[in-house]
Amino acid sequence: MIEIKNLSKNFGSHEVLKDINIQFDNGKVYGIVGENGAGKTTLFKCISDLEDYDGMIISNPNPIKNHLGLLLTEPFFFQKITGKEYIQLLINARNIHIDDIDARNIFDLPLNQYASTYSTGMKKKLALTAILLQANDYFILDEPFNGVDIKSNIIITELIHKLKDLGKTVIISSHIFSKLSDTCDEIHLLSQGSFVRSVEKSDFSSLESEMKELTIGTKIDRLGLT
Amino acid sequence: MINRRFEDAGIHPGLAYFLLVILFLGLSIYLFEKTEFAQYFYLLFAIIILGNLSETRRTEFLKICFGDEKLKEIRLLENITCAVPFLIFLVYKQCFISATLLAILTIILALVNFRTSLNYTMWTPFSKRPFEFTVGFRNTFYLFFIAYALAAIAVSVNNFNLGVFSMLFVFAITLSFYSNPEKEYFVWIHNVNATKFLLSKISTAVLFSAVLAMPVAILLGIFFYQKIGIILLFFCTGWAFLTCVLVGKYAAYPDEMNLIQGIFLALSLWFPPLLILLIPFLFIKSKNRLRYLLK
Repeated sequence: MIEIKNLSKNFGSHEVLKDINIQFDNGKVYGIVGENGAGKTTLFKCISDLEDYDGMIISNPNPIKNHLGLLLTEPFFFQKITGKEYIQLLINARNIHIDDIDARNIFDLPLNQYASTYSTGMKKKLALTAILLQANDYFILDEPFNGVDIKSNIIITELIHKLKDLGKTVIISSHIFSKLSDTCDEIHLLSQGSFVRSVEKSDFSSLESEMKELTIGTKIDRLGLT
Repeated sequence: MINRRFEDAGIHPGLAYFLLVILFLGLSIYLFEKTEFAQYFYLLFAIIILGNLSETRRTEFLKICFGDEKLKEIRLLENITCAVPFLIFLVYKQCFISATLLAILTIILALVNFRTSLNYTMWTPFSKRPFEFTVGFRNTFYLFFIAYALAAIAVSVNNFNLGVFSMLFVFAITLSFYSNPEKEYFVWIHNVNATKFLLSKISTAVLFSAVLAMPVAILLGIFFYQKIGIILLFFCTGWAFLTCVLVGKYAAYPDEMNLIQGIFLALSLWFPPLLILLIPFLFIKSKNRLRYLLK
């Protein structure tokens, strides 16, 4: 469980997150949507303790960062480190011992190649595999479906369902609404640093219609396509 | 870009260049006083610097920005700027053959480019505890061959000082593995507090540097067994410097090491017992710097 109370974050005079209050329960999957710059990544960094903030974040187990798998939008990889070594680095960090990493390579990645030579999708799959093998209780997945092929998209969707069944707390950010509606129990719309709308599974389609209406408006017509 | 880096470190570029000149002269004089093979090391250092400037991706970037003709001029200018200090000192020391060789290589290397990174995955004995030695070894493996070759030469010509130099050279290479701060994510992922994190990093550094330096130490121990005490002393000094650089890195984290730390490290090179004070001081500073990432 993660409970966020009155969370605010400023970068200088710019208030990026404004008085956020939300609770993330065990065994549930949460989607966070919002335009670029809405504050999603900053929120994730605050939850992860990678950014300082005003307010309170309570979690059980605690401290949250020692039980959290964080998948960044663009995971960073050292030059000249192989996929297997990257996984080793992340599991060593949590004192986890795995004898046969190759056996856990569900995305069939070339683990003995340098990770820096991987494609965008392969990098994402490697980073995801590594945090899954850390045996975390919480997962924050920032754009987990971006750049990933169809087959792996299906696997990731099933993985999220499995995490939910195992009682993990999963928070996902994605710009692909269908992926969120496939995986999430709740979706929260973040706009200009505040949650402006929260919906449960039964209302996902109405949220999507609303977002379409808001986003598209008359923009397509203005092109004057014939 | 170099000026900006100096400014970021809080030092005026003019002063930085002045200090670099002093440092270069000091190290050059020291090297030529200490060993008869100085000109060869000197040549080697110069070629390593010039070689890095010839890296393919770098050259391609310059080519896109400036075109073919201008590229040659820029590369020549870069290489000459880097080689001139070495050339002047070699001429001053009357090492004319080495100076001529360096001048020729300066021009040739300006006209070619090559990949400093190889496409195949190189095996390392350090894969189980990434990342510093895993990445560092792959970047500098050829320098270890040079160090081991120097140790073999030291034994064959019965030159103990050269042997000790080759052992310290191994440690010096490993220091470079800790020169840049990693992304915060790779510190944040650890589920231990700052003290345990630092102790774990130090134990890895001590163990893996021993793996690399031990062949030289054993060779020297066999052929210069009457000086085993001195060999052990230098070995432990190598460990101490490595530990100092490691804690120095995290004492400035997430920034790069600053000038003050650099001065203290330089002072320890001149008077190694300073490390006894410097290491605990930097360790405590590191703990405080890492506290925001490690709970």
